[in-house]
Amino acid sequence: MSDGAILVVGGGPAGLSAAHALVATGRPVLLVDKAGRLGGAPILSGYAKLVPSGEWARDAIGGMVARVQSHPRIEVLTDTRVTGFRGTPGAFEVTLSDGRTRRAGAAILCTGFTHFDSVNKPEWGFGTYPDVVTTTQVEQMLSSGRGIHCPSDGRAPERVAILLCVGSRDRQIGREWCSKICCTVSANIAMEIREALPQCSVYIYYMDIRTFGLYEDKYYWQSQEEYRVKYIKARIAEVTSDGRRLVLKGEDTLVKRPITIPFDLVVHAIGMDPNVDNREIAATFGVALERHGYLQKAPSYAGSGMTDRAGVFVAGAATGPETIDDSIAQGQAAAIAALAGAQRTAAIA
Amino acid sequence: MPIHEKSLIRKEDLRRQEHLVLEGVDVSGDWSTFIGARVLTDYNERLQDEIAALPGGENIHRCWQCGSCTNACTVNAINPDFNPRYWIYLIRLGMEQELLRDKEIIWQCVSCHKCTYACPRDVVPEGVMKATAQWLELKGHVPTNPSMAFDEEFSAQVFATGRIEEGRLLRRFFRRTGQPLAQPWLVAIVRGLVARLPVGLLARLGLAALVHPRTPRWGRVRRVVHDYVETQNTRRRAALGLGPASKETAP
Repeated sequence: MSDGAILVVGGGPAGLSAAHALVATGRPVLLVDKAGRLGGAPILSGYAKLVPSGEWARDAIGGMVARVQSHPRIEVLTDTRVTGFRGTPGAFEVTLSDGRTRRAGAAILCTGFTHFDSVNKPEWGFGTYPDVVTTTQVEQMLSSGRGIHCPSDGRAPERVAILLCVGSRDRQIGREWCSKICCTVSANIAMEIREALPQCSVYIYYMDIRTFGLYEDKYYWQSQEEYRVKYIKARIAEVTSDGRRLVLKGEDTLVKRPITIPFDLVVHAIGMDPNVDNREIAATFGVALERHGYLQKAPSYAGSGMTDRAGVFVAGAATGPETIDDSIAQGQAAAIAALAGAQRTAAIA
Repeated sequence: MPIHEKSLIRKEDLRRQEHLVLEGVDVSGDWSTFIGARVLTDYNERLQDEIAALPGGENIHRCWQCGSCTNACTVNAINPDFNPRYWIYLIRLGMEQELLRDKEIIWQCVSCHKCTYACPRDVVPEGVMKATAQWLELKGHVPTNPSMAFDEEFSAQVFATGRIEEGRLLRRFFRRTGQPLAQPWLVAIVRGLVARLPVGLLARLGLAALVHPRTPRWGRVRRVVHDYVETQNTRRRAALGLGPASKETAP
């Protein structure tokens, strides 16, 4: 691999997109991922059908993985971390977790996010009751072909509750951000459940519905109008059990009444935390974290995906909750910025 | 008790004691001011389906509770308890008992359709009000209202003969609603007609009142109309878990 290679850290949607964009311009790429395989969250967490394309993650993101893995000018290193990153734009020295070193002209950090761990909201029953699951687990039920079921006894649920903003917009646990895509994903999952189990009622408990842009009618309205999903404006206080079914407690804010409603399956619409490794990543690459713990991105006016260190770029959910489509776009944008940055440095040198 | 909780006291539960003295202490006033349990313990998915099965109620599931309908409402401006947004929510959650508390005002919708034009989701709240009023009648929660008695007589005559005969319509309507036939305004109209109409036309009116002539070849049309109305009514009643109608459509 030549000195002109560009380092891409993370092989999810943003990293795969950046790597492909770079080799398309003739630039060699060194793609490093700490996991044993490429694909990032959609592949590693077993997502089902993606928003908004409706394509299966294993086909859509799997296709991006195949395109990158088969390219002769992309060196893929899985089960590998970057432990050192020294030098200046155009001439960085990269130390890898296996002790080897490489040279790189620039780096693009596509290190993504970490799913919120629902155990941190114990009042909502995750970890206590087996039939309290996360959106990720529902995605896995769908993608594995096992179907929607209650983990406790395998029965098909007759009534499902989806709780929004689990691990988002919650000062109690230091998460002061909206995870952006959970509303849309939840509406999508609700429709999937209604499609698979027409006899099952699905209720979504919300504080606001943020199916932004074109997701409004395609997800929110369609789930309500065609799939008869019901939306209740309430933030659930606790999830308990009467020994037989789960019981949701909270306040229905529109009728000003306490609610104590039985459910078979409760789904947490979990948010996007900063990557658990972000402190280490920031220290290794000498870049700053913003106040929530994501990688700090410079304003976009001068160039896309810049950090406060020249020659180091960021893309995707590493910088904050992000959609897959936007992560892919940011990966390409950061690739262009990295190329331009590397060329300018070369010219100066 | 905090003052705002007073709004939760239900008037129908109050027992007023004008003069009540217990062991020498005057305890006159309102009793039974306890606030009953208001916890929502289950959803009834059936209620929305029932309303949606009646004409006008089809789009109720679209509601997202923005309140545009209640804001626009003509009746709400006069009576704040007339709240279409709230009733739609009760129906969607299946809070039947709560809905029935307002059964005496739901029918008051004047069908001005301001809500229909204000609604961003095309719920057609006016239609929902109509469907809800009909639901209350079909379920027997409220008596058939007088205007419905008129509509039924009107329809029954049309179904029977293909036309209406006003004198008979009025007589039957007055009888059904317990009103005297000799109403001053009606007497004045009849007198005016007799004094002014040509004799030939009067004779035709009189004949029609006696023999109830049918529209030519009405028999076949009648069967089709009757079947259609019957099918619709049976379908609606079935959706509400009710048996076949007893009289409504019988011409």
